Amino acid sequence: MKLQILSIFIATIFTHNIALTYLLGMCPFISLSRSLKTAWGMGLSVIFVVTLTGALNWIIYHWILVPTQSELISYIVFIIVIAASVQLLEMILEKFLPGLQVSFGIFLPLITVNCVVLAVSLFMVIRDYNFIQTVVFAFGSAVGWTLAITIVAAIKEKLSLSGDVPKGLQGAGITMVIAGIVALTFLGFAGMVAIQ
Amino acid sequence: MKKKISMILFVLILGSILTFVLIGVNYYTKPIIEKNEAIKIKSRVMDAFGISYNIDDIEKVFSENVKIETENNVKYYFTENNEISFEITGNGLWGPITGILALKPDLETIKGITLIHQEETPGLGGRIAEKEYLSSFKDKKIIPKLEIVSPGKAIKENEVDGITGATMTSKAFEELINNQAQKYISNLKRN
Amino acid sequence: MPIKFKKLLYVKSVRIIIDRLWRDNPIFSMCLGVCSALAVTNKVENAIAMGVGVTFVLVASSVIISFLRKLISSRIRMIIYMVTISTFVIVVDRLLKAFFPSISEAIGPYIGLIITNCLIMGRADAFAIKNEVRYSALDGLASGIGYSYTLIIISIIREVLAFGSVLGMKVTPEWWTNWVVMAMAPGAFFVLSIFLWITRNMAKIQPEK
Repeated sequence: MKLQILSIFIATIFTHNIALTYLLGMCPFISLSRSLKTAWGMGLSVIFVVTLTGALNWIIYHWILVPTQSELISYIVFIIVIAASVQLLEMILEKFLPGLQVSFGIFLPLITVNCVVLAVSLFMVIRDYNFIQTVVFAFGSAVGWTLAITIVAAIKEKLSLSGDVPKGLQGAGITMVIAGIVALTFLGFAGMVAIQ
Repeated sequence: MKKKISMILFVLILGSILTFVLIGVNYYTKPIIEKNEAIKIKSRVMDAFGISYNIDDIEKVFSENVKIETENNVKYYFTENNEISFEITGNGLWGPITGILALKPDLETIKGITLIHQEETPGLGGRIAEKEYLSSFKDKKIIPKLEIVSPGKAIKENEVDGITGATMTSKAFEELINNQAQKYISNLKRN
Repeated sequence: MPIKFKKLLYVKSVRIIIDRLWRDNPIFSMCLGVCSALAVTNKVENAIAMGVGVTFVLVASSVIISFLRKLISSRIRMIIYMVTISTFVIVVDRLLKAFFPSISEAIGPYIGLIITNCLIMGRADAFAIKNEVRYSALDGLASGIGYSYTLIIISIIREVLAFGSVLGMKVTPEWWTNWVVMAMAPGAFFVLSIFLWITRNMAKIQPEK
């Protein structure tokens, strides 16, 4: 059991990285990887929101939707839960931690449309995870996503100092080339662990 | 205040209209989806046994040729010639693999294998789902142990060629078949 | 260029179609909906299914949101978008499961993720909420087609390189060795970035009007 949870955690970061193998969360990946600082800020907010909504959605799905046989509307419920928790988080931050709100504030509304958040909830249903597995999976996926975006952002920062990027490839294009190379290296982790 | 009420009313009305749309779609598609799923497993079982059928008469051919029996709460499929098959599940390299393994009456020779679900890399490990590859398992022995060896090296009757470039998937598949076959056969022999 | 044709370019509906298909193309110009452009383009059939699904959701939600645009107050507009979009996504998901089970299995969770496809939310907030129903429908349709054809082009490149086939039919000569990494994540990144490079350069050549 413990081993299985550990292997889910390692898999979500290295072998089954949600950004680099499932290609999810690409919109913020492309627009926010300009600097290491923004990438890191977005990453931290994603870790928090994904873990929170993964757990909430598991509880709602298994305690409310399954008993009432309304799995049909699960997509709607998931996205409302995500939107609501992001809103709530924003309000809490504003009230109690105004300092943090200034640095995270710009990222929070963007998280609702970050597909990583919804994807974690959908994967947890498809793979039939229990509660602990879901939390570990959600946390690991977000950490993996953060790892990927910070690596890419770091490379881009270096590149902006030295490299000449051809016109047309600047911005989104070069980000994808870098992400592709990083994804290629992550393929080397394949087979390290297996997940259900 | 009035504005708030009308806002809530608006959300409620929109919500109920959309719910009606969903209920309608669900009512229309549910029987088709359920039928698709039932047909999928049945057709894979018949593929594993090598029974031929047309897409339109899957249900009929299945009920004529295959019997479903449960032994110690485990589901088995039998044919008239006492061939037997069961559902195998396990981990592949990238995700779960499920399939149907059919054995001849001696319980040690493979009659056929089909896959229901797999998430291996398309073109590499994903080739385990191809009919040509799966047919190389036919007539191989699972006793004492089925072995998937390097491509082109299979000689003995318990050896099958692996897939080029997909050693890890082959290893996982070998383990899955051996594990599951042993589990289902020992469960059957308990009676 | 004949004057009649030039005039046509200033008609709003024609303008919308041309812009969405080329200069404001969702993928290579606005960079919206990139997740699915990368993830489901390993085979042409998946790309077609995704394109049709997104186009349907885009048109349907644009029409509904534009129809209700005077009633939606800006405070709750996000939640209205999401509920509307997810309803239509569920419809697409059910229809695919019922009539194309094999495609539904191949693209699996990515259908549900149409909800967070920024393209749909983006068009709703940037266009449908401010414009008449007919223009919104047109905008949805044109954006959807612009999105679909890009997806299909990328998937053709990737399927030919990775499997030597298009829609499952073999197109490459005997000596061709399948370049499997093209079907995996790195291939998706490389093909899309090169595609972006080419199309962005080409779109620049178009004279600004």
